[in-house]
Amino acid sequence: MTKEEQLIIINDAIKQTKTNLKPLGYNLIFWSIVVISMSLFHYFFSQIVQYSYYSSTIYWVSIPILGMIYTTYYNIKAGIKIGYETQLDRVIRIIWCVFGFAWIFTVGISVLYNINPVQDILFLLGLVLLMNGLIVKFHNITIGGIGLLIFTVYTYYNPGLNLLLVNVIGISFGMLIPGLSLYFQKKDE
Amino acid sequence: MNKGIEKLMFNPIRLKTISFLMSVETCTFKALLEVTASSKGNLSVQLKKLNEAGLIKIEKYFQKSYPTTDYSITKKGKSSFEDFYKQLQNYKDNE
Repeated sequence: MTKEEQLIIINDAIKQTKTNLKPLGYNLIFWSIVVISMSLFHYFFSQIVQYSYYSSTIYWVSIPILGMIYTTYYNIKAGIKIGYETQLDRVIRIIWCVFGFAWIFTVGISVLYNINPVQDILFLLGLVLLMNGLIVKFHNITIGGIGLLIFTVYTYYNPGLNLLLVNVIGISFGMLIPGLSLYFQKKDE
Repeated sequence: MNKGIEKLMFNPIRLKTISFLMSVETCTFKALLEVTASSKGNLSVQLKKLNEAGLIKIEKYFQKSYPTTDYSITKKGKSSFEDFYKQLQNYKDNE
């Protein structure tokens, strides 16, 4: 084997590494649908969700935890199917794990101090989406993250807004639309 | 550069494996089979040699009661590959 052939083999092997971005798109769509559905259900059937002091907390904690279990299972399955994990995959996974812990921490604090966590979570989500968009070089997610951050800041200055509708609008434009475009457009990196 | 490493990299399957592992965190045997386009037996032999040289790490575990093996490159593997690649580039540049 000549040196040139060795260089060709190296380049070909490296080129076969692709970061599959479909699972990220799927995760964004899944969580958007979950959060939007939950917000709308809470908005239209508030008497059911808020029938007792802790019922809305249970509602907003139990369903996302079930969602986390499902998405963890889905991502492990997707990883097995692909057969390898790139550095980019690892970075994205770590970012979302950190977001998951931040979400648990924020919800815990909000329960302890009786604060609505919607704006804090949306702000965190905006930052995570912005990071994801920049890392995978997908403008729609970057724009979605920036839009969500701006929208969240706007809601801080307008305290009269219904936070359930804020959730629906913020998630729809910041995560659902970019997630759909990533899922259907983005080719592997 | 270590002559032993250079000899190991001379085999196309081993070279493909090391090159692929340089760009991923971990990978399965199935993925390596696709990348190297080799037979299971041959790939196993080459992986064993790379592992014995300390260039790759093999982790065996059970997933849903099925035995699974993950392969990743070691620090020694990374530095050896980088030296090897630099040497190839130097050779190409000096031509």
